[in-house]
Amino acid sequence: MTTYLLRKLIALAVVLVVASFLVYGLLYLVPGGPMAFLLGNRSGTPEQIAAIRAQYRLDDPFLVRYAAWLGDAVRGDFGSSLVYRQHVSGLMAARAATTTFLVGYSTVLIVVVGVAGGVLAGLRRGRVDAVISAVSSAFLATPTFVIGVLLVIVFALGLGWFPVFGPGEGLFGRLYHLTLPAITLSLGSAAFLARITRASVREELGREHVETARSRGIAEALVIRRHVLRNASIPVITVTGLTVASLIAGSVVVENVFALDGLGSLFVRAILQRDFAVVQAVVLVLVAAFVLINLVVDLCYKALDPRMSR
Amino acid sequence: MMRRALPVIGLVLTLAACTSGAQQPQQDAAPAKLDLKTTTPAAAKGLGKVTWNLPYEPQTLDPIRSFNYAENTALANMCESLLRLTPDFKIKPGLAVKAANPTPTTWVYTIRKGVTFWNADPLTADDVAASLRRHLDPKLGTWWGDYFNTVKSVRATGSMQVTVTLKQPDALFNQAMATGAGAVVQKKFLDQAGKSLGSPSSGVMCTGPFEFHDWKSGDSMTLTRNDHYWDKALRAKSESLVLRFIADETTAVNALRSGEVDGQYFYLPPAGLGQLQKSTTGSVTLGRSLTFWALLGSAKSGPYADPRVRQALSLALDRAAISKVVFQGTASPQRALTGSDYWGYERKTYQKAYEALPPETTDLAKAKELLVQAGSPTKPIVIGVQGSSAVHEQTANLLKATGEALGLDIEIRVVPVEQYGNLYSDPKARKGIDAFLSTWYGNVPDPLDIYTVFRKGGRTNFSDYKAVDGAIAKARAEGDPAARASLVTGIQEKVTRDVVWMPLNNLPVILYMNKRVTGAVPSFPYLYYPWAAGLGAR
Repeated sequence: MTTYLLRKLIALAVVLVVASFLVYGLLYLVPGGPMAFLLGNRSGTPEQIAAIRAQYRLDDPFLVRYAAWLGDAVRGDFGSSLVYRQHVSGLMAARAATTTFLVGYSTVLIVVVGVAGGVLAGLRRGRVDAVISAVSSAFLATPTFVIGVLLVIVFALGLGWFPVFGPGEGLFGRLYHLTLPAITLSLGSAAFLARITRASVREELGREHVETARSRGIAEALVIRRHVLRNASIPVITVTGLTVASLIAGSVVVENVFALDGLGSLFVRAILQRDFAVVQAVVLVLVAAFVLINLVVDLCYKALDPRMSR
Repeated sequence: MMRRALPVIGLVLTLAACTSGAQQPQQDAAPAKLDLKTTTPAAAKGLGKVTWNLPYEPQTLDPIRSFNYAENTALANMCESLLRLTPDFKIKPGLAVKAANPTPTTWVYTIRKGVTFWNADPLTADDVAASLRRHLDPKLGTWWGDYFNTVKSVRATGSMQVTVTLKQPDALFNQAMATGAGAVVQKKFLDQAGKSLGSPSSGVMCTGPFEFHDWKSGDSMTLTRNDHYWDKALRAKSESLVLRFIADETTAVNALRSGEVDGQYFYLPPAGLGQLQKSTTGSVTLGRSLTFWALLGSAKSGPYADPRVRQALSLALDRAAISKVVFQGTASPQRALTGSDYWGYERKTYQKAYEALPPETTDLAKAKELLVQAGSPTKPIVIGVQGSSAVHEQTANLLKATGEALGLDIEIRVVPVEQYGNLYSDPKARKGIDAFLSTWYGNVPDPLDIYTVFRKGGRTNFSDYKAVDGAIAKARAEGDPAARASLVTGIQEKVTRDVVWMPLNNLPVILYMNKRVTGAVPSFPYLYYPWAAGLGAR
């Protein structure tokens, strides 16, 4: 187990270095630079431009700049934002909290709604199944931002139950402010998870050992719990892990719709402004989160299915 | 929903007290007679908290790098300048009680006594000199360089006196001291903050009616009332002003409609302007403005480098349609880059000169004739427009249609929003683009502020226009207003007839306030004047 974890962590480090190099290189190749943002659009003498280019090492060759960045990053210094002239860590701290909260809240919604709906549809044939399937199809087919806009129109502007924008303050304030964004972010994934769960439950129900257990007169509830749900949960956990990882990307759209100060909106703006240090730091955080979530999924697997750990 | 006839402002502002000396805006044959304001009804009393939205999060509050909407909207309530640009476009004393001009190349500012910074330290000449001197250090990268090019030195020549020496006389320098270019930050604070000045962690230390309280990066900025403000007439009515940064226009309009945000300035009409105008929970005020919409010429060769081709396009273009289609009826057509709000002196001279210019109405027959004279060019004219901007795209469509009616091949090149800024600063980015659309504004009520763009070698003289270089130098050095006005109208005549930049429409400030609040300044000086001081409950 320890060697397994160690292996995974070394792999993570390698992935981070490769990702940082790729992103830095791509950003370097894209035309347009941060100059317009450093100078404003209307002033700047040649001397001033030269002074600024030197100050930000904009004229250094790519490898020199990357190496300098990497050297600082290894020591835990992710540099300063070109545009905001603040330390990247400071820029990211507040925003990371919002995004984490949003993704966490959405995950809870996805798991509760998706698994409950899927199990219900799997165990109850007929009308319940049809309704759940139809609703999940509709949610799957609707783009995230459309759901967001509709929710705002109905629940924020129309009924006035929820705020239109912003991340809120304090635990209850945050829950209240992030409810619509979290629903927006989770509906599609919850529908997907419901379908996977339903299929998985159906499959387990048809298995021989379930038939055998039933024919021996074991209580139905026990059969469902011990034989059906436990086995059906393995694919469900895999899908949940992947879904949570994909929420990190989906949060960019939702953060823009609800004007949330998350990592996603910071990331998009930093790319547009060629703010190297910020883009790099956000990428590292997102990649690390992605890899760690997958690691957690692997560990859950092992716990559920002894065959996996061999 | 209640439907309210356009324009909303006429109904809402029946109480508006006319400021003394506000000039009636000169109306030309505009499609819609716009009643542009410089005031909104005074607030009955202060509020505990007013929430306002900025179009994006400021990059910094450092005055020398604040030359854009969000930055200046925030700073205008906090940091004051030597002079003050009032809501009706007058230049009045600010932190300086007097600006003397003993020789053509010296400006002596007498600093106001009894002014304190928020930390209760008194304002001295050293603070002023240190703040102005920062514009002279190329490493600090001021964005206000256009006004400091002529400055040789800035010295404190007394405990309450600052002397600015110029390399050559400059009519614009002193006027610029009424904008963000003349903003004063405490010297002690400048030294302590160093590079982090104006960042969320450091903020600023100034003298204005609102104090910097805190700035949560990505979320909001809070300003609180300065109870010891020197100018009793402009003491803030409300206790705190929270600035949000909702960049997404739809979300911003929703937040205004739901009342979560009390107000916002728009420099371009948002797609949801109609919803705001019809809103039962607030109202839109259009304010007088120095901002305009124009097609900036950048061709040095090819058909668009021929003034006759530019004149033809300008004559054929239906500016009333641009006003109606693109700006939802808010923007009057203009025949010159500088409309009546720029005429801060010698108004009669400027008005006469303006009336003598070719009208802003269309004349297709004459336009076709001009094109024939220019040899009926067949090479396409490439016009750059900004991607993901409705205003740009719709204007581009009208330009293209005009070209078709005229027999001129116009090609639209969409430049992504994040690279559009490079068109202004990087000649490489402008390669192959004959003209591009832009909003633009001068900072002071003097048309020369705009025409200075056409200096030889000027960084924004994109097409290397040379015909007015000598006249600009003369006008900038001319201290006598009457003589300057006659020089500047000469420049205006030449630049307008040659259509170096094609004037399209004047863009009023669009101010939305919900019913809870009133008292914000609706006119362009909101960028440099404490516009929120009068903000309070109706």
